[in-house]
Amino acid sequence: MGAQLDVCLERVLTKDQMENDPPIGELVKLAAAGDRDAFATIVDAQYDFIFRVAYKWLGDRSDAEDVTQNVVIKLAKSIRQFDGRAQFSSWLYRIALNAVRDHQRQSIRQGRNVAALSLVSPTAAPSNQEDDVTMNEVWAAVRQLPEKQRDAVLMIYGEDMSHAECAAIMDCKEKTVSWYVHEAKKTLKGLL
Amino acid sequence: MDDMEKKLERLKKVETPAADSEAKKRAAALAMAAFDESAENSSKTFQGMSWSMRLMSIFTPLKGIRLMDIRIPATAAIAALLIVPISWQLMNNTSLTPPPISDGRALQTEKKDKDETLSPLKNEPAPLVSRELAIAEPEMMMEAADMAMEAPAAAPPAGAMAKLATRTMSAPGLMQDQVVGYMQSGDQFESFDDANIKLTGDQPVSTFSIDVDTASYAYVRRAIVNGRLPQKDAVRTEELINYFDYDYATPPSADVPFAPQISVYPAPWNSARQLMHVAIKGYFPENVMAQPSNLVFLIDTSGSMNDTDKLPLLKRAFKLLVEQMDEQDTVSIVTYAGAAGVVLEPTNGNEKRKILDALDNLSPGGSTAGAAGIETAYRLANEAKNNGGVNRVILATDGDFNVGISEPEALKDFIKQKRDKGISLSVLGFGEGNYNDALMQALAQNGDGNASYIDSFTEARKVLVNEVGGTLQTIARDVKIQVEFNPAQISAYRLIGYETRALNREDFNNDKVDAGDVGAGHTVTAIYELTPVGAEQPVDPLRYGENTQVNATLESDELAFFKLRYKLPGADESTLLEMPVNQANVAADLNALSADIQFGTAVAGYGQKLRGNDVVSDFSFDDIAALARSGRGVDKFGYRAEFINLVEAAKSLATN
Repeated sequence: MGAQLDVCLERVLTKDQMENDPPIGELVKLAAAGDRDAFATIVDAQYDFIFRVAYKWLGDRSDAEDVTQNVVIKLAKSIRQFDGRAQFSSWLYRIALNAVRDHQRQSIRQGRNVAALSLVSPTAAPSNQEDDVTMNEVWAAVRQLPEKQRDAVLMIYGEDMSHAECAAIMDCKEKTVSWYVHEAKKTLKGLL
Repeated sequence: MDDMEKKLERLKKVETPAADSEAKKRAAALAMAAFDESAENSSKTFQGMSWSMRLMSIFTPLKGIRLMDIRIPATAAIAALLIVPISWQLMNNTSLTPPPISDGRALQTEKKDKDETLSPLKNEPAPLVSRELAIAEPEMMMEAADMAMEAPAAAPPAGAMAKLATRTMSAPGLMQDQVVGYMQSGDQFESFDDANIKLTGDQPVSTFSIDVDTASYAYVRRAIVNGRLPQKDAVRTEELINYFDYDYATPPSADVPFAPQISVYPAPWNSARQLMHVAIKGYFPENVMAQPSNLVFLIDTSGSMNDTDKLPLLKRAFKLLVEQMDEQDTVSIVTYAGAAGVVLEPTNGNEKRKILDALDNLSPGGSTAGAAGIETAYRLANEAKNNGGVNRVILATDGDFNVGISEPEALKDFIKQKRDKGISLSVLGFGEGNYNDALMQALAQNGDGNASYIDSFTEARKVLVNEVGGTLQTIARDVKIQVEFNPAQISAYRLIGYETRALNREDFNNDKVDAGDVGAGHTVTAIYELTPVGAEQPVDPLRYGENTQVNATLESDELAFFKLRYKLPGADESTLLEMPVNQANVAADLNALSADIQFGTAVAGYGQKLRGNDVVSDFSFDDIAALARSGRGVDKFGYRAEFINLVEAAKSLATN
């Protein structure tokens, strides 16, 4: 199952990575063995990808920057433990997702509903056309969903993953993913 | 829904802004520093704690500034924009209907799962969603209220705000629990209500299964230490009480492993009521660790185990256990993750270096698939099985493991079947956010083991060193208690805690009905609240109903009759132990009783208080602390002192 997932993720991630990537697997091995330059190259190459994922999830530039920073630091601390059993890209994806969640929980705990504010956040993506406006509305609404529903919707619609891929990343059953999406649609129906 | 589908399809097209190069530089610099730091420490695994702390200090100021930036332009227009979706949500979700809960349940029940406690499908989405919605709402209201303050001059939204305000007022039901700042998390607990008062005339017999688990206390402690009151369902009063070690009378031999002691005394929270305190201590064989142990660690190494309080703590915890082993013991390690596998084949307990190295090399990553791991673990346990010793799989996880089998019943059966073949299961829970308490309890119960929640190194030491006998060696299985109250003396009673352990009256004598197991040296306490005949009654008697008056000839001075059933290890038939409770058990004053009883009573009060039970509303946190102090006793390990601190902490959390 792991291999299948990695293939799928590979498909999702390639767009951003293929362009400027040297063979990432080699770099990761070097970095895991302690090669400083290799690690620097990885951070440089992956930063944009992580930022993109984080931005999609959070909808706010500074939040996404915080999270991306957290992710690369986490990467620095844990790359030596990366054993090559999973694809690097899927491993990274999961770290990013966890970091987004942690961030979200922290904000909630601090009692500030960043999501509500980011609805009209001045740092939101520029929207000139009407279609963009609707799209941003959809995004903003999706980000307000409960965590798991949001993750499911963003992965399935935002990243174009299948239910199976999404289930594997979320550590749950496909049926549960469908249920999250179903619930999400119900909530969104009133918001949109 | 088609329209919705179209809208959602648009999500794909969103363009994210290019990453800011300054931010990137900053992050890269921090990452390199972290990389270098971990190079220095790479011999020691997971020095992560210091890093996350250091980072917080960098982020927090930035965060504050950013929020201010957003708030400053929050003009009337923004307030208006905000109020539309917010008020919609309020209307739709906050008012008396919580749709996700009921709909979720309906969806599940259709899918045939009738087992309330064990279905991950049921446990997973429904409570989660409801909780998250619940937390979103009050905050949004605050948010809206803030906005209202900031934009008082805006004419058009004023009406909307007024409406919003009335809606806020009209939805107190759902909010009540939130007001006191109850903890919200992704953790899952079986929900239950406090046991009601039972009238002796209606229902003279009370039956329940023993519970020696202590997970709830560790969870509650963690919540309070983190500055939140735990959610109600996380508080199981009996587990709070049983967390502490009490110096009850030890039974003399393994053949009769229990010597219950019963005391009746006035309830400190209501002078019209009495408490009946049942103290049981399991037999403690001298040679617990002298028995050969065959242990299989089944360790969750999924990505979510990455946090310092999960896998790294788990490693340290298991090392404690390994340190106590010797050449007659065997240890195996199985992980379940993306690639479930055997990390360590059954290894002799004196090859400590090899075992510790295997533990050290564990690293998180991959998805969780629990069932395959469980099968492997039991296979190893069977390979290394020693007859006459301890054979146990110890499952360590941070929460719901995706069992791969869609029916949790099948997993339960699997564990039960293995238990009958002599291999038992204990569960250690770690971390927060994903913790599936109900499933862990259910698995441990089916595996003749206990579920513990490890929130700190101290707790690991308590479970795996100080109480290792109880954790590893079961001295009695399926321990059930039945108490029959004498209606001539006791008009009503209420069992404190054990709500999730209630049994039917007929289950007591049915040896096929599973119940809790007691490990070596475990202490178990059960407390009933009694209303004596003649005291102020909690319930009016029926005017037309059956006459519950007792035939005078039956009248005796016995208050109740206590029965306890247990199976000795390996036995299929249960043994009965019984004793009357009479005036000899009654004490006029709690202060005259042992420190253990005073302390246990304080904990009982605390548990009920955290659960918001009205019965103890006049019994303040200060009263609880005072009673706990007078019952502190020797307190060798400082657990009771810690409890007193928790009471103080809860007091300030509840009043703020």
